[in-house]
Amino acid sequence: MKQGFWALVRREILRMQSRPLYGLSMVFAPLFCFVFFTTLMKEGLPEGLPAGVVDEDNTTVSRSILRNLDSYQQTEIIKQYANFAEAREAMQRNEIYGFFYIPKGTELKASSQQQPVISIYTNATYLIPSSLLYRDMKTMAIMAAAGVGREVLFAKGANLDQAMGFLQPIQMDMHAIGNPWLNYNIYLSNTMLPAVLVLMVLMVTCFSIHTELKDDTAKEWIAMADDNILKAVSAKLFPQTMVFSLMALIYLVLLYGYLGFPAHNGFWPMLLAAEMLILASQGFAVFIASAIPSLRWSLSLCTLWGVLSIPISGFSFPVMGMPEALQALSYLFPLRYYFLIYVDQALNGIPMAYSAWFYSALLVFFILPLVDISLLRKAAHEYTYLP
Amino acid sequence: MWIKDLLDVSGKELRKTVSDVGVLVFFIVVPLLYPLLYAYLYGREAVHEVPVVAVDDCRSTTSREFLRKSDATPDLKIISYCADMEEARNVIHNHKAYGIIQVPKEFDRTLAEGRQATINLYCDMSGLLYYKAMLSGCTMVSLDMNRDIQMVRLSGMSDREKEVMTMPIENEYVTMFNPANGFQAFLIPAVLILVLQQTLVLGVSMMAGTEHERRRKGELVLGEEYSNPITVLGGKALAYLLVYGFTSTYVLCVVPWLFHMPQLWQLPTLVAFIVPFLLASIFFAISISFFVRDRESCFLLFVFVSVPLIFMSGISWPTSNMPAFWKVFAQIFPSTQAVNGFVRINTAGALLQDVRYESIALWIQTAVYFMTSLFIYERLYRSEKMPGVEFVIAMRTRARKNLREVARDLKEAREEIKEKIEQLKK
Repeated sequence: MKQGFWALVRREILRMQSRPLYGLSMVFAPLFCFVFFTTLMKEGLPEGLPAGVVDEDNTTVSRSILRNLDSYQQTEIIKQYANFAEAREAMQRNEIYGFFYIPKGTELKASSQQQPVISIYTNATYLIPSSLLYRDMKTMAIMAAAGVGREVLFAKGANLDQAMGFLQPIQMDMHAIGNPWLNYNIYLSNTMLPAVLVLMVLMVTCFSIHTELKDDTAKEWIAMADDNILKAVSAKLFPQTMVFSLMALIYLVLLYGYLGFPAHNGFWPMLLAAEMLILASQGFAVFIASAIPSLRWSLSLCTLWGVLSIPISGFSFPVMGMPEALQALSYLFPLRYYFLIYVDQALNGIPMAYSAWFYSALLVFFILPLVDISLLRKAAHEYTYLP
Repeated sequence: MWIKDLLDVSGKELRKTVSDVGVLVFFIVVPLLYPLLYAYLYGREAVHEVPVVAVDDCRSTTSREFLRKSDATPDLKIISYCADMEEARNVIHNHKAYGIIQVPKEFDRTLAEGRQATINLYCDMSGLLYYKAMLSGCTMVSLDMNRDIQMVRLSGMSDREKEVMTMPIENEYVTMFNPANGFQAFLIPAVLILVLQQTLVLGVSMMAGTEHERRRKGELVLGEEYSNPITVLGGKALAYLLVYGFTSTYVLCVVPWLFHMPQLWQLPTLVAFIVPFLLASIFFAISISFFVRDRESCFLLFVFVSVPLIFMSGISWPTSNMPAFWKVFAQIFPSTQAVNGFVRINTAGALLQDVRYESIALWIQTAVYFMTSLFIYERLYRSEKMPGVEFVIAMRTRARKNLREVARDLKEAREEIKEKIEQLKK
């Protein structure tokens, strides 16, 4: 039997080739998700969201509101409903995400000094379209209201500047740093793609180590490494690291090259982060695989960690909004640090020194197995598989 | 009797499920705990008191009023007042705040001149909720202050003019079905449905993987002794349906109740909708479990699918803006229809006729996946990997014959011994 690092690498490559499972989970799964997420949200910001309107007033004022509403980019009025109940049912059938309700007597009230109220209803079970529609509809309602006042001011001889200065003395100028388009593809894909990769790294690493025990090949494996468990594990994981690094390279080129997402500090800090993320995930998986000498239980834990890292890394729902216990838990997920690096390096483009701690944290995950890898050596010699 | 066979298979499958810890984890433990974890995670619905810094270059009464009022909103919390933008940026870079409110130097003068004055907001875009909090907090304050400013300016006008000038039309905003307009009521119903489908897929595949391993070793598996694949398929489906009757009651009814989430469903609608979903998921799970070769590979094959699946349902990125290909592709999975249907039944109080499309689609999926799993079972029956009825009967006869031979041998041996003993006595 040949021994040494490269012999082990060769052995691992043969093992990986012998089962389609490895190809599916290391190449197909990540690639599928890369393509899926980036093409799904390729519009960036949803446009022409279907909305409805209920005009029970049916007067000049109400009709002018309707005309204005359709002229916004993100809202498309697809239908006018006869009454409130009809519009609500359309919302329950999922035909529209929101509607405008102009009650009877709006014009009458407006002209008789009694401040009529028009209502905006959105289906907040679909949070993204709901908030986007709200933004359009709110602006619309304010503009329509101001419209009446503006006409009076124009009649008095005011110019547009003066009129706006009266109608809206203080206005907001919002600068969305790094993502001025509010692009959801940038917002989600930047972390979703590595998240899928992390999940696969955690599972494949744990699976490939424990199948040695299950298939009863662990003794041969460890013997080939001269009974040196560090050598055995690193040689075993080396080909996987290569494949996963290639996957990381693909998504980085896809995001920052092909799609041109902001990477204000350039490509290299992100490549470094992605590479360290893979190593950190492998390290974490080895740590778990050594600590729990059962394929199913350690794989379950790795899977849980991989799936949980998506919400807990805080890229869709901020960590500061979570319960304190989970805020503390978030420190134990490699993806959390990758996300923080991404915000600093790609989105905001601040000096790397600010992210130094996050890079170091990834390094800690990488060397974590040193704590308990001796257990794996013991298991390799003594373990028998139980289903 | 096929019905006896069916119940027999069902019973055995149930016993197998209960005795397999790995499967029990998927069928019971994950559905029990995972939704709780998720609901807990999003329990606060939104972010409040987002830390921001203020840069007041104007230093007037109005600018101070604006900042004070922003700080008082539930959305924002001004953690420090910085001398200039450079200092403010430094606070952001050190991850202590997520936004800057900057009041320009000429703010007060512009207001006094009757022109439109601007306040600059800079927001860290690492989370859209920061953006939302900042925009809504500051907009609220500006609308409030605008009204006051207008009232002051109007003091010289007649009453009639005042009425026309200040906002003649008010507006109000109602977020329907999600009173807190938050993450929990929006995301959790989708997660619940997905948990049901995915645990079914994982558990069933784990059992299929185990059977495959045993078959490879030449051990026999449940079902082969029954002549008809339909009975085996039906029996298994019945067993899973029983288990998931309980699991889904807990996941879909108890979990939202525990977290005080909106629950507007009506029982007949919910049952009539969830039954085809469970059936479709069961046959879907059986169909794809065919590709599983061993016990643990289900993790690697099916877990990651959950991530795209939640997006395919259209709960996050709206279905109306999905590329046509993904819209069609999403129809493969029962969860797509089920998430949309359940969200509306549970959260928006829809009735069965409102989710007619989803409900019909689930029945079609049930039919299609029943056919595919039946096809697979038929093939399994005929394949050499899984010996059919004849083989089982042959094995059994051979075993009986062997037993008979052994018994005969024993009898002969005993007689021989007896003879020998008698010979010895003589």
